[in-house]
Amino acid sequence: MPYHEFECSKVIPERKEHAVDKEPGEDLTSCLPKGYLNTIPGSISERGCAYCGAKHVIGTPMKDVLHVSHGPVGCTYDTWQTKRYISDADNFQLKYTFATDVKEKHIVFGAEKMLKENIHQAFDAFPEIKRMTIYQTCATALIGDDIGAIADEVMEERPDVDIFVCNSPGFAGPSQSGGHHKINIAWVNQKVGTFEPEITSDYVINYVGEYNIQGDQEVMQDFFRRMGIQVLSTFTGNGTYDELRGMHRAHLNVLECARSAEYICNELRVRYGIPRLDIDGFGFEALGNSLRKIGLFFGIEDRAQAIIDEETAKWKPQLDWYKERLQGKRVCLWPGGSKLWHWAHAIEAEMGVKVVSLYTKFGHQGDMEKGIARCSEGTLAIDDPNELESLEAMELLKPHVIFTGKRPGEVAKKVGVPYLNAHAYHNGPYKGFEGWVRFARDIYNAIYSPIHQLSELDISKDEIPGNHGFVTRRMLSDADLSDEIRNAPHLSEYDGKFDCLAALKDKTYPEFPRRVAAAE
Amino acid sequence: MMTCDVKAKDRIGTINPIFTCQPAGAQYASIGIKDCIGIVHGGQGCVMFVRLLISQHLKESFEIASSSVHEDGAVFGALDRVETAVDVLLMRYPHVKVIPIITTCSTEVIGDDIDGVITKLEEELLAVKYPDREVHLIPIHTPSFVGSMVSGYDVAVRDFVKAFAAKSEPNGKINLITGWVNPGDVTALKHLLAEMEIDATVLFEIEAFDSPLMPDKSAVSHGDTTIADLIDTANATATVALNRYEGAKAAQFLEKKFKVPAVIGPTPIGIRNTDTFLKSLQTLTGKPIPQSLVRERGIAIDAITDVAHMFLADKKVAIFGNPDLVIGLAEFCLDLEMKPVLLLLGDDNAGYAEDPRIKALQDNVSHEMEIITNADLWDLEDRIKNKGLELDLILGHSKGRFVSIDTGVPMVRVGFPTFDRAGLFRHPVVGYAGATWLVEQIANTLFTDMEYKKNKEWLLNVW
Repeated sequence: MPYHEFECSKVIPERKEHAVDKEPGEDLTSCLPKGYLNTIPGSISERGCAYCGAKHVIGTPMKDVLHVSHGPVGCTYDTWQTKRYISDADNFQLKYTFATDVKEKHIVFGAEKMLKENIHQAFDAFPEIKRMTIYQTCATALIGDDIGAIADEVMEERPDVDIFVCNSPGFAGPSQSGGHHKINIAWVNQKVGTFEPEITSDYVINYVGEYNIQGDQEVMQDFFRRMGIQVLSTFTGNGTYDELRGMHRAHLNVLECARSAEYICNELRVRYGIPRLDIDGFGFEALGNSLRKIGLFFGIEDRAQAIIDEETAKWKPQLDWYKERLQGKRVCLWPGGSKLWHWAHAIEAEMGVKVVSLYTKFGHQGDMEKGIARCSEGTLAIDDPNELESLEAMELLKPHVIFTGKRPGEVAKKVGVPYLNAHAYHNGPYKGFEGWVRFARDIYNAIYSPIHQLSELDISKDEIPGNHGFVTRRMLSDADLSDEIRNAPHLSEYDGKFDCLAALKDKTYPEFPRRVAAAE
Repeated sequence: MMTCDVKAKDRIGTINPIFTCQPAGAQYASIGIKDCIGIVHGGQGCVMFVRLLISQHLKESFEIASSSVHEDGAVFGALDRVETAVDVLLMRYPHVKVIPIITTCSTEVIGDDIDGVITKLEEELLAVKYPDREVHLIPIHTPSFVGSMVSGYDVAVRDFVKAFAAKSEPNGKINLITGWVNPGDVTALKHLLAEMEIDATVLFEIEAFDSPLMPDKSAVSHGDTTIADLIDTANATATVALNRYEGAKAAQFLEKKFKVPAVIGPTPIGIRNTDTFLKSLQTLTGKPIPQSLVRERGIAIDAITDVAHMFLADKKVAIFGNPDLVIGLAEFCLDLEMKPVLLLLGDDNAGYAEDPRIKALQDNVSHEMEIITNADLWDLEDRIKNKGLELDLILGHSKGRFVSIDTGVPMVRVGFPTFDRAGLFRHPVVGYAGATWLVEQIANTLFTDMEYKKNKEWLLNVW
């Protein structure tokens, strides 16, 4: 068994089976760490809670909704403004958050009455918003408030509003993943099938497990529209509440992050017979294959191929410019869940980097299976890593860059490893062909920062070069390149705009005649 | 007749909170102690997000552990999780000596007896497995449904002091309890003490969180208040707690239990409050205020004179954030000839209405002013957007950034957290240096706004 035992975790032997080295000849029958088990207390894991998995990850990206947390104010405050899931609704979902502000007297005497007052006051404060989600928290789960009953009462009193209730207290499961599951099932149980959407295309999909981080959803939606596909709903980035009530009318569920949203796809398949198609929006090959698969499903492969050809012609020379300069750079791929398998192979194949480690904070064994299957030999895979293990891994592997969250990024900074935000990105979007080039550009900018080089100089004992007043990234990245590559006329640096979404705002799309005229 | 009303928010819920909850305050206090890693007893989010929040503000990392309470614990009690957490932490972090056990709403509701489990751990785990190791387990009760992060900080500071303070010989030092401040504030306070030649123990000392990236990769951000410092608090000449709501409880405890005189406040924001702070130090120690500080004060006053009556006079300001900070800033604004028209205090502390500083504002301000307790950021936004409140400036933390962005009222970031501006943790708001920095931030922010809005931007052609 290729288990990787961390020096720092020898004293907690339960950890031993949570990390593996993918050695030559190993396959998933032996090379698979345990996953999604209860966290070891005091290990300083990076995991969050089931409340945040439901409210913060999946619920809040819905853009036309009052998001209310029923509990003390902290859960609401702490999960507010820590993500970059934007929307085209002036980012309402980022700007406003609601807490019922449960106090001690409510814990003692019950908080249902004040919940109801809260709901009314929130709708009164934002009269143009008619939709609400309410999230249980640890405190209100323990006192046993019946949030659903209160929501029903309010919906009777205010017939123009609709309220969704998610009972996913923080302690419900080993990590945020428990909350993903709970909100998936709650949504399909309570809301799917309660709204009849307008069908405008022969090809209708739900885009599921996509949270519009820095505009990913808008980029992918552009491709779908160019193919004449109607995106009936997005679960949930840049999505609207009512569109998501109409998910039952789609012909296909296109699933991006299987970790957080496969549950609803599976339920929609069972209950409404809608097939599930897993895709990757990251990477030229994976994205191209994904668009082709969707095209194949609907019999419109030619439309997919036209997009792939156009985008590849435009962006591949820029991707390859970075690929030449990122060859062999060691990467710790340490995201939350699905990106470990979305990215593992794609960044090696298309950016030339070497993934030396991958980890998952809240992923299950299934995510590790995919990640380990896709990464190359020599990779250290860790489930639910903790602070000391991360430091030990960085010391061992000496990565050039690490993809992780903000706070662990600060840990890496101190040991001289630049970081990119794997959850919220640095300068995304990272999906789409252009987005993938932006990702490569961000990796390049991190690794070849002249300041990074300076950080390693000890002026008290090292030779101070003194020969340059500056160094550019190019001077560093191109020093060892052959003239042929350095001057390759067909390769060029990324030349897109700071905000590459702006161009999508006023874009018009081709009208495709319908095969079946409004036959719904 | 102008009025200054103090009233509570007139809605029951919170739209866009100003504060997070008590355990966050206890966690912020805990990172000021050396060789300390707290265990937050509750769900993992109560730690993960608070670490993220503090790390966004300081752009640094640090350690706090969770007892990782899952369903079974919520149903059957989770004290076994605390026992495991303490052991795991001690095994893997050999330097750790202080472990506060910080409760949350969930573990307070289920009634986990953390005081009892600490006794058990002391008698069993510590005595048997770690007999030669110095370990202090400290219960800190911070249910999230009481108070706010501000009271959580206050409670934790008191409980840390309570756990360690022990009488021996008088040490001739001043205990300085800074309250919830930035590394830059600590630097400024230490500077004032050094200029006064006063030997002080700065408690919950986070100056080192403004930490370097070193060539040998050795730098780690950590607090600098030691166990010895905490023990010795009982032997000080006096305690100065700068903030009434963040640290005063500890000062009062030391006064009651060990007869260490307590001086509470004023929060040394602005010239006048800094003067009073120095006067307190002088009274307590007999040390004179040196010429160097006369000069430093002069630099601040010079800087203020450059801008106050020309640019700042009569500018209307709304201020939100930690109560002592808000009150201190309001007082300073009045000295700057500005009009603080709205103060938002983000929790339901009944003591605010009795605060003598607030009473003084009520008695003396000569413009219309509102002070809202239990306030949220909607109290600010709603007044601007829907109720005709006219403002020239907002002073507050980054969670209010969209109020400023969407209403076009310029905002100077101050307080906690200020994650959407670079390096603010490095700058003081206290002391004369803080006064200088604040007034120049305010002026430059107003100047930028004049230029951006083309509102008499030509004024600055000559200045």
